[in-house]
Amino acid sequence: MPTPPVVEALGISKSFGGLRALDDVSIEVPSGSFHAIVGENGAGKSTLAKCLLGFHRPDSGAVKLDGMAVTTPAEARRAGLGMVFQHFTLAPSLTVAENLVLARPDLPALLNWSKEKERLRAFLDTAPFRIDLDARVDHLAAGEKQKVEILKQLYLETRALILDEPTSVLTPAEADEVMTVLRDLVTGGRLSVLLITHKLREVMAYADRVTIVRRGRRVASNEVRQMDASRIAELMVGSAQPPEQAIRRQVRERRPALEIRDLRVLGDQGLAAVDQVNLKVHTGEILGIAGVSGNGQRELVQAIGGQRGIESGSILAFGVLYRPSRSAIRRAGLLTLPEEPLDNACVAQMSVAENLALRSFEHPPMAKFGFLSDRSAIRRSAEAAVRRFSIRTPSIRAAVRTLSGGNVQRLVLARDLGGPDTRIMVAANPCFGLDFAATAFVHNQLIALRNRGGSVLLVSEDLDELMTVADRILVMSGGRIAHETLRADLDLAAVGRYMGGHAG
Amino acid sequence: MTASQREAVAIPLLALAGAAVLFGLFCAWAGASPAGVFASIYKAGFGSWYSWQNSLLRAAPLMLCGLTTALPARAGVITVGNEGAFVVGGLAAAASGLATASTAPWLSLLLMMIAGSAAGGAWLALAAGLQHYRGVNAVISSLLLNYLAIALLLQLVEGPMRDPGSLNFPATHPIPPSHQLGRIAGTRVHYGLIFGVIACLLIWFLLERTVWGMEVKIAGGNARTAKLAGLPIGRIVLVASFLGGACAGLAGMVEVAAIHGRASQAISAGYGYVGILVAFLSRQSPLRILLVSVLLGAVLASGGILQRDHELPDATITVFEGIAFLAILASEALSGRFGFRRAAAQPASVKTVEAANARP
Amino acid sequence: MPGPDTLRFAGIATALLGGAIRGSIPYMFVSLGECLTEKSGRVNLGMEGILLMGAMTAFGVSEWTGSPWLGALAAAAVSGLLGLLHGGLTELPGVNDIAAGIAMIILGSGLAFFFGKQFTAPMAPQLPVLDLGGGIGNTAARAALRISPLFFLGIAAGFALHYAFEHTRWGLHLRAVGDAPEAARSMGIPVRRHRIAATAIGGALAGIGGSHLTLYFPGIWSEGISGGQGLMAVALVIFAGWSPRRCLAASLLFGGAQALGPSLQSAGVTGLYHVFNASPYLLTLVVMIASCSRTRAMAGMPGALARRG
Repeated sequence: MPTPPVVEALGISKSFGGLRALDDVSIEVPSGSFHAIVGENGAGKSTLAKCLLGFHRPDSGAVKLDGMAVTTPAEARRAGLGMVFQHFTLAPSLTVAENLVLARPDLPALLNWSKEKERLRAFLDTAPFRIDLDARVDHLAAGEKQKVEILKQLYLETRALILDEPTSVLTPAEADEVMTVLRDLVTGGRLSVLLITHKLREVMAYADRVTIVRRGRRVASNEVRQMDASRIAELMVGSAQPPEQAIRRQVRERRPALEIRDLRVLGDQGLAAVDQVNLKVHTGEILGIAGVSGNGQRELVQAIGGQRGIESGSILAFGVLYRPSRSAIRRAGLLTLPEEPLDNACVAQMSVAENLALRSFEHPPMAKFGFLSDRSAIRRSAEAAVRRFSIRTPSIRAAVRTLSGGNVQRLVLARDLGGPDTRIMVAANPCFGLDFAATAFVHNQLIALRNRGGSVLLVSEDLDELMTVADRILVMSGGRIAHETLRADLDLAAVGRYMGGHAG
Repeated sequence: MTASQREAVAIPLLALAGAAVLFGLFCAWAGASPAGVFASIYKAGFGSWYSWQNSLLRAAPLMLCGLTTALPARAGVITVGNEGAFVVGGLAAAASGLATASTAPWLSLLLMMIAGSAAGGAWLALAAGLQHYRGVNAVISSLLLNYLAIALLLQLVEGPMRDPGSLNFPATHPIPPSHQLGRIAGTRVHYGLIFGVIACLLIWFLLERTVWGMEVKIAGGNARTAKLAGLPIGRIVLVASFLGGACAGLAGMVEVAAIHGRASQAISAGYGYVGILVAFLSRQSPLRILLVSVLLGAVLASGGILQRDHELPDATITVFEGIAFLAILASEALSGRFGFRRAAAQPASVKTVEAANARP
Repeated sequence: MPGPDTLRFAGIATALLGGAIRGSIPYMFVSLGECLTEKSGRVNLGMEGILLMGAMTAFGVSEWTGSPWLGALAAAAVSGLLGLLHGGLTELPGVNDIAAGIAMIILGSGLAFFFGKQFTAPMAPQLPVLDLGGGIGNTAARAALRISPLFFLGIAAGFALHYAFEHTRWGLHLRAVGDAPEAARSMGIPVRRHRIAATAIGGALAGIGGSHLTLYFPGIWSEGISGGQGLMAVALVIFAGWSPRRCLAASLLFGGAQALGPSLQSAGVTGLYHVFNASPYLLTLVVMIASCSRTRAMAGMPGALARRG
């Protein structure tokens, strides 16, 4: 059996528009080793993987497999490099056998299934998993699908395998099974593995070497033997001092404004994305939820916002059971600001003015006599919001899809933060795409809301932001609340560990 | 005018121009002179007061049937149940008219309007409801309901509602002439035209100047956002579909009360299907539907003259409709290339860099 | 000697059988064509117009050349071209599948009626019929067993399609394209090409189905020759769970439903004529309500279709 190739990335830099995704990153994976790349979201891990595979051309630097330069996906494939993505690349209605055969580049026009199945069975004898060849992929559990993805790569004779957060959709038992198999394949000299993950437990238990990336730079690279989880976590989130404290007033009386009880929400795969979550946000409090994306935060926000159904559990606003109807939203003053606001919180082809009026178009002054729409009032309100929040648009009649990302974000914030009736704000990464000044402005608005007795549930992938703004921080990992801490008592390393799924 | 408003005018014009060119080629290939054909269409549609009235007569049902597609479409549901709602409306109107033949004419007509609208509205709302609450594709179900409506019409007209006097051509008893829908003074055009114009203006007003219209546009624009805003999407879809079906039902009532005076197989004249075209050509906008109905009415009115002067069968009109429909679809698809959309340089969708590059 | 009611029942049954076989043929071809198209991830609602064009072309070419088989072939070619048009149009960005389908219905029927106007003869040379009940004395049974070769062709086509899906590389690629187009694309499978090809071939099959209408039963050309079979075939495919062999069985069922009205009438049952004639539409509607669900995609539905709906 041929040995796995040596995989090298030498001084890779890659920018997208104004954003520097990778800055002079180098990595070396010797033949037959298990290498982990760790980092938060936006650190550059996936971009690096795509450069290795030839999907992106680096702006500078080179990718070498066994010393030979690789620039295209076909070359990478030929050299034995393959990848298992976060999303499945299997055809759901087809069987496992059909999916495996499908991946073969040299299929004959007529398929002799008995011969193909024989070939597959012979292959499976050498493979580390048992799987039912005739099972339809959409009847398989997520863990089994992941195994099929890995099998597919092995069937294609991949010898260096990149995996991008492979256990994110797996149960802990399934995750262990998969990781153990990968480890055995590496030990047996059959495979090199490059594992992109944020789970420190996996790194400590299975990898030989770990490279930590932060904001597009390689921060450290060392043998796992010589590191411990705390150190890795620290490097991952940075050991920055907590930034400048925003002025916050002492709020006297505090009662629960938003309460989540035993909430269970299913994700797109049918598994529980939010699993028995309990939390309370009090009046005059900003509660932050930290965590790497993909741990249930998106589904939690969607459930509160009414965009995703609740499997079990309940949401209460000011002690009253809450269901996201228009009147309940208004009564509770509970506004939700999801991620990707253009797709999820706006109507792309409607105008800036109309989108700004989304929450209040049926009430005076925007509505007259209860059913007539007062366009000049909508216009005036929109113009005021545009001014106050510095939304850059050629006209308030322009379609909102013509705005840049940052300005869409400002629009949604103007709409939801600007009103006097907002009492509870649930926001996911509200400062994404905003510059420094705008971010500070938003943070001040959130704190102002808090100061006047409002509540904020702030889901953020940026720990710095949470440390600036939040009174209390929860860490969400694997669909559950893993950790709770007051801002004042924050132990950055501990938080990093919990984000990495590593307790204690 | 903003870029999108410019685009909204340019695209249909482009489509009509393209359609005209293709149709001209078709006529030439069929042995007729394109210039002559277009001249004839113009003459038959707008050449004289007589022609104008012909066009307006045909525009009336088109206005209403165009709204039938446009209203649910604005709420996010595509249906093609215009013909079914039309037929069911006509049937209900006939039944109502016959039952109230001894009351005052104005009351009888009013009840006919209500019956026709309600029946048509319910028929279309059924298809929309099946899609929203049960996941049944509304295009297919509304199409099936079209056929079922016609079957119902034929069964009733040949059976329980049959006028024994209608020998070779089964029909219901006639509605007394005093109770039929009259003509606008001094013209050959019946009041159905007024219904159509009022409906277009009213629906425009509802969509653009009321709270309900905002709800419809949000629900049809982005269902996720509508949910976020707490809007009751199911209810919005049902109401919009009911209103749309009511328009077709009203058109059916007009067909019975003004044109035929009774219900029979003849009331299914295909206006429903042309209404779909009107709606798409107008990009689902009520005011444009008003205009496009008149234009298309003129085209429909030229069937006779094409046959007489150019020896082209009246199916030629249908061919033109098909070409026009394809043209509007293709022009919408190609519009992005012509730079009408002066968009901001960056894509507006906000994603992390990694997620944005998630597709290999 | 069987009683009069039993005879009557037997009469209805044989008429129904013959009618079912006969009526199933257009459904078979159109549903197989639509099945192929949908397996590739595309919905073609324009089948009604394509069917009509096929019917008209078959009549015209058969009359012109004197050979009904050439007519059927020409029908396949012309309808295949229309399918190609639909396939190409729907690949353009932002073109709504459904709107394109409606446009095809209008265009197809318009063109069919336009060219059909010039037909002078009431009947064109008809496709030959296989007289399988040659020896039977009972005229009704014999009539029922007079079967068009297209019936067997249709069955063969169904099995051929099934074989292609399960045992050829092209079929495997096609199913992947319809189920997971992004994954297929990343594997280097040309997604567009497969979809357009499937839509074109689907159209050609519908054309053959159309030729049956004008060259066998009813065997004439008229503008009302299709009673919506093109559209019902779309529902039929859903009912059959996107399986070619089940499409064949469902076609027989729908053909039977269509023959219900005439069969009962021939036996003297005259009431509710139109209701019985409408039974295919009713059946389709009931089937769809029963098999659709608001949240779950239906079993066997190609992934690309599920994600769009």
